[in-house]
Amino acid sequence: MHEPEFKAVDPRKRFLLWFVPPLAVFAAGLTVLLVSGHVTGPFRHITVVRAMLASKRDFFQDEQVKRILMARGYQVHVTPVGSRDLARTPDLDSYHFVFPSGHVANEHVKARRTGKHAVPFRPFFTPVVLGTFREYAEALVKAGVATPYDRGEQPFYYNLDVDQFMKLVVAHKRWSDYKLANGNRVIIQSPDPCKAYSGAVLVGFLASAVDDNPPQTVADAEARAREVKPHVDAQGQAGEDMAPKYFAPEGPTHAVIAVIYEHQYLAHQLNRRGADKERVLLYPTVQHQSTPELISFSPEGDRIGELMMTDPALRRRAVELGFHSLGWNGATEQDFAGHLTGQGLPEPPSGETGRVALPKAELFERMLDVVGDCR
Amino acid sequence: MRILAAVVLLLLAACTASTPEPVRLKVVASPELADLGPVLAELKRATGVELAVEHRGTVEASRSLAGFDLAWLSTNRFLRLRGAEPALSSSIMTSPVVLGVKPGKRAVLGEKPTWADVADRAAVGEFRYGMADPQVSGGGMAALIGVATAAAGTGAALRPEDVSCDRLQGFLAGRVFDVPDPISEYTRRQSDVDGVVAHESELLALNASGRVSEPLEIVYPRDGIVLSDYPLMLVDPAHRAAYDRVVEWLRSPAAQRMIAERTWRRPVDPATPRDEKLRTGIGTALYFPDTQQVLDRLLVFHDRAGDGRQVIFVLDYSTSMRGPRIAALREAFASLNGFDRFYTGETVTIVRFAGSVLEERSITVRGRPDLDALLAVVASDDLRDNTAIWAALDHALRLARGETTVVLMTDGENNAGPSVDEFLRVGRGEVPVYPVRFGEASVAELDRVAQASGGRLVDAGAKSLLEAVREIRGCR
Repeated sequence: MHEPEFKAVDPRKRFLLWFVPPLAVFAAGLTVLLVSGHVTGPFRHITVVRAMLASKRDFFQDEQVKRILMARGYQVHVTPVGSRDLARTPDLDSYHFVFPSGHVANEHVKARRTGKHAVPFRPFFTPVVLGTFREYAEALVKAGVATPYDRGEQPFYYNLDVDQFMKLVVAHKRWSDYKLANGNRVIIQSPDPCKAYSGAVLVGFLASAVDDNPPQTVADAEARAREVKPHVDAQGQAGEDMAPKYFAPEGPTHAVIAVIYEHQYLAHQLNRRGADKERVLLYPTVQHQSTPELISFSPEGDRIGELMMTDPALRRRAVELGFHSLGWNGATEQDFAGHLTGQGLPEPPSGETGRVALPKAELFERMLDVVGDCR
Repeated sequence: MRILAAVVLLLLAACTASTPEPVRLKVVASPELADLGPVLAELKRATGVELAVEHRGTVEASRSLAGFDLAWLSTNRFLRLRGAEPALSSSIMTSPVVLGVKPGKRAVLGEKPTWADVADRAAVGEFRYGMADPQVSGGGMAALIGVATAAAGTGAALRPEDVSCDRLQGFLAGRVFDVPDPISEYTRRQSDVDGVVAHESELLALNASGRVSEPLEIVYPRDGIVLSDYPLMLVDPAHRAAYDRVVEWLRSPAAQRMIAERTWRRPVDPATPRDEKLRTGIGTALYFPDTQQVLDRLLVFHDRAGDGRQVIFVLDYSTSMRGPRIAALREAFASLNGFDRFYTGETVTIVRFAGSVLEERSITVRGRPDLDALLAVVASDDLRDNTAIWAALDHALRLARGETTVVLMTDGENNAGPSVDEFLRVGRGEVPVYPVRFGEASVAELDRVAQASGGRLVDAGAKSLLEAVREIRGCR
């Protein structure tokens, strides 16, 4: 019988054997995470930047954008709001920057910041478009008011003749008149024009179909608004941002033609494996390009604005999210079409047709108030 | 070595996401959200936010959110009508308000039924259902709005003028109960009810629960549904940080999946996989009205359902009606269906006249045979000379009992009995008269009588007699 043997093991060596490999894995992983912005290091200072955003919050709520900004030491805390509400909000000054969607709200904000820090940046633009579904677009083609834009059996983009479309609306045509299983009237659904810029642009589209010369007096603006009002009222209570529901499987139930931004559609398409052939865009013959402005009220806001204009990762991500990026000189950058076609999506017709001439800001605001019965 | 270990531990502690402060928020939520228990337990574990939920009907809760930190209702539309919608609101899931029907009764409604088909069968007692009480419940109010929008048939949102006449009574005649919790009530009374109007999620959950003797078939009415989108709203802005955490978690893929699997609601995240039953196309959503006035009016209609009402038809059977005119009149009566059908509990009186009253017949509707009896009265070939319009109308008004409407249909001039002036000299009380003019009848005289009574003249010259009768069906 043998005596039990005792092996003398150096406890330090055992500890190291147990400890070093996981430590190495951890250290390597941490380094990667720190660099990519997934986590913050214990010694790095993260600046929380408070921002109020309209539809462009899609950009700052994107996970990759959050990570890129985190890697640069910033976290943007987003308060979502419609552009018109944004321009009127009482606590405007409490934010580091704001990002309304359109020109009128931009000007309103700048006027309220007269004499204070207010630096504008224009990192990208995106047109207001009409999101619909293939069978509805084809019904409009048969009705003679829409034409396919891109070639191919299943076009993604259609041009919509707003003047001709308006005739269907005025005649109270229903989708069932065009052999679709839907008894609702042919109208466009938009967010509340009292709150959201895209809702306001729809009013602009319809008003231009009534008469393409913008009204010049308050009385003209009110008269034009009263002509448009019944066709906006037909949708009943307007909702908020329409894009999330348009892209849900129940999209056609929520709205068959919804006012959205082009970037929301392109981001949806680029985000998928294989194109969504059911959802298509209508481009009104008169277009409106929203040039959103990031208006900074503070050095923190300035820094975000500068990053948006210069940071290659952020600018690349903007294109991936469907925005047409703009340089310091306001020129369109070239990589947009290339990126889309590289992903199997044809280039949209944005920027090709005439622009809708919106009335002067104060007259347009008056029109919106009449159409929307704004409180 | 010990120092190295300490540094590593410190680093680890610094890198672990700091556990957020536990928070308890007071939430008012729609009663059907009681099924979210397991989701809320997981929410608390993941975010540290506990939702202390008090359940109230969406319509009731929308009158005041005071005292709550968050609100989670089937819709924020009722709040928006009052201008009381919280600024931050985020839709979490959706479910349409639809009809659950017993398999044995499904055939009664036809293949792809509309709300009009449901109203048509409900009016004569062939389809009996339960629904949520629209005075308190969002589901009940959504059903009422859906049915009324379909009844108006404009293809647009209801305006106050679309609900000036009450076209809901036929539909409501089939209602067996309306209570805050229609699903529990249905399980108690399933032997004497044919179906229930409720959210798709509630019906699928009921079917899966084994509490029903036979699973209900779900019908998505072809003329449109109302969709609830369950927004989570921040009532007290002081809780913004916790609210953001809750919304972010509820919209995460894991939570969306749990909602779809446990509660049968449709996730808002398009990427969330869903059960076959949640992929059914739900068709058209009806536009939602933009004024509180419309809702108030629908509630008035709802509340007076079941009161015995009377409609008196005063029909011209003078010889000038012979041929196409009397045929059109019979056709109009035979074609009153859908939302326009005579309904259970309604008393229909027909007064046929020429130079004098030829026949008077009152029937309180109990079922389809009563409708046939009414058609038999109208089918009479007994046409006579002369036209005593005002004498016949006077006779009809004396038959009025309780809430009554008179419809006068004539094609000619008054040439017997009292004149219109003599008729109007006598006070006539509150009964509205709706003259339907066709042929050579005098617009001026009929219009005077309509206006004096609070009714309205309908000219059938420009449209069919049926359309004219439909236009004033339910007016009072």
